[in-house]
Amino acid sequence: MTEPIPQAVTWALAAALLGTAVLLLRQHGITRRQRGRNAVLADGVRAREEELRHLVTVRLPALADHPGQDLPGIGPLDTRLAETEFGKGMDEVLARFSGAVEHAQARADQSAKAALKASMRSIQALANEQQVSISEMQDRHDDPDVLRDLLEVDHTNAQFGRRAQAIAVLCGSWPGRQRSTSPLIEVVRGATSRIRDYRRIRVHGQVEIAVRSRSVEPVVLAIAELLDNAARHSQPNTTVEVDVQSVHNGACVVIDDAGVGMDGHAVEHATRLLSGRGEVDVTRLDDPPQFGFAVIGVLARRYGFTVSVDTRSPYGGVRAVAFLPTALLTQLEPAAAEPPIDLTTQPETTPAPGPVAAGSTTGSAAEGTTEGGLPKRRRRVPKRQDPAEPQPVEAEEVPGRSPEENARILGAFARGTRFGRSAGRILDEEEYVDAAATGAAGATAATEATGTADSARSTAHKSHEPHKSHEPDENEGTHHA
Amino acid sequence: MTPRRPEARLVRSYVVTDGRAHPTRNTLDLVTLLIATTDLSLAGLNPEKRRVMEVCRHGSLSLAEVAGHLRLPVSVTKVLVADLMDSGHIVTRAPIPAARPSDTRILQEVLDGLRARL
Repeated sequence: MTEPIPQAVTWALAAALLGTAVLLLRQHGITRRQRGRNAVLADGVRAREEELRHLVTVRLPALADHPGQDLPGIGPLDTRLAETEFGKGMDEVLARFSGAVEHAQARADQSAKAALKASMRSIQALANEQQVSISEMQDRHDDPDVLRDLLEVDHTNAQFGRRAQAIAVLCGSWPGRQRSTSPLIEVVRGATSRIRDYRRIRVHGQVEIAVRSRSVEPVVLAIAELLDNAARHSQPNTTVEVDVQSVHNGACVVIDDAGVGMDGHAVEHATRLLSGRGEVDVTRLDDPPQFGFAVIGVLARRYGFTVSVDTRSPYGGVRAVAFLPTALLTQLEPAAAEPPIDLTTQPETTPAPGPVAAGSTTGSAAEGTTEGGLPKRRRRVPKRQDPAEPQPVEAEEVPGRSPEENARILGAFARGTRFGRSAGRILDEEEYVDAAATGAAGATAATEATGTADSARSTAHKSHEPHKSHEPDENEGTHHA
Repeated sequence: MTPRRPEARLVRSYVVTDGRAHPTRNTLDLVTLLIATTDLSLAGLNPEKRRVMEVCRHGSLSLAEVAGHLRLPVSVTKVLVADLMDSGHIVTRAPIPAARPSDTRILQEVLDGLRARL
């Protein structure tokens, strides 16, 4: 009875042992696999920690400096993480961060520009006011000692005004200051007036070209910046040679200095700025701020001229070339041609009311280029019969003006209105010429009326004036239609 | 419309005189008559000096008139004219002296004569 028991026990033991061994083996395998997985997981966690640290210490700061750009060498440390949820989450963080930075920067730039623009405009207005006072003082005082001081004050004031103007332009403002059409030489000398070392500038060249009134101030400002650069970067005992040339498609102002010149990198940088394509970030100008090229770039782009500084001057420095296309230019007109015509046509204007009715039907005849003021007058007469709304505000000022001044004001008014409406579009030459012609016609007619009207008719004369002031508007309407 | 102010000069006075305020001679006054000499070349003169020569070419003008034509302050014009005198482009003449004040006695006689006739 006892014998089968040990056998059974042995068998049971053996089975148990076997089972245990199998279990142990399995356990061992599981443990090893578990350990391996643990190691992988630990690696993963470490990699993610590293990645996170990299994100915080390297990638985000880099992004903060250059938002919206993909920077080489500052990607994720471990590219295997890119496909995981973690990687996608990190990209999301980066995108949001970048967006926030860009937004904040845009807002900061915008508010900085707005604040600068407003303050520069008021400074500019003060500088202009001061310039007028200085001019008046120069007219009033005859003493050379006083004049010397006034010249100095004037010079400083001009530079001061230019600085304010340049910053305002950089912040998106207009150059301000309406000027009449001026000879190109005067424009260059006007630019000379606004820089510190004006005595070192030599202007050569004789061209019978004028710059249109709308472009005078921007061109003056751009050339002043070029001249200032040239004078600033050359020895005080050297001169800056300016040559004004007429070329096939416009005119060129060539500025040569005998200064240190620019290396390839500087030329590249300057060319980029001068093209005016990049956004100007006013919060990132150097200290001291260097915005000359940026200002020229903005003006050149807005008004359609080009400036290049990539050639070497024969004097060893930089040669800057400003090219003004024909659209910005006009021919110099011989002044004071109109007054004698007014005198000769004066007797004819008195019997003129006869063909008034015919005048309204022969509107096209008015465009004919008959000599004398008669056709121009006919053109105005039918308009006088139109029930146009009077504009009494303008009527008060007109009687004291000369015909040329009237022509200029009306022309400028028409041009200005049209320019404002077309918002930044550069006008064709024909449009300019038309505007000038109609302005002149209106003004000539006005003079004839004033010439014939004696004091007894002055009230009747007054009633014409609203139509005169209205005329540019009507002409403008036909241009648009 | 705001009342128009005279347009500020584009070329400032210090550029016109090259920074100088003192004329090279102080013999000029408002009524000095300027006469342009026609035989000298205008090369090398700045635009304002050319303009002075241009306005004086048609006959003598007083300094005040020249300043008016050029729309420059009189003191600045003096500097320019003094330079032109140095280079020989302009000669000056003292203003024509005013006629000697007439004798009141003669005037009285004329008046009496006229009264007697009419």
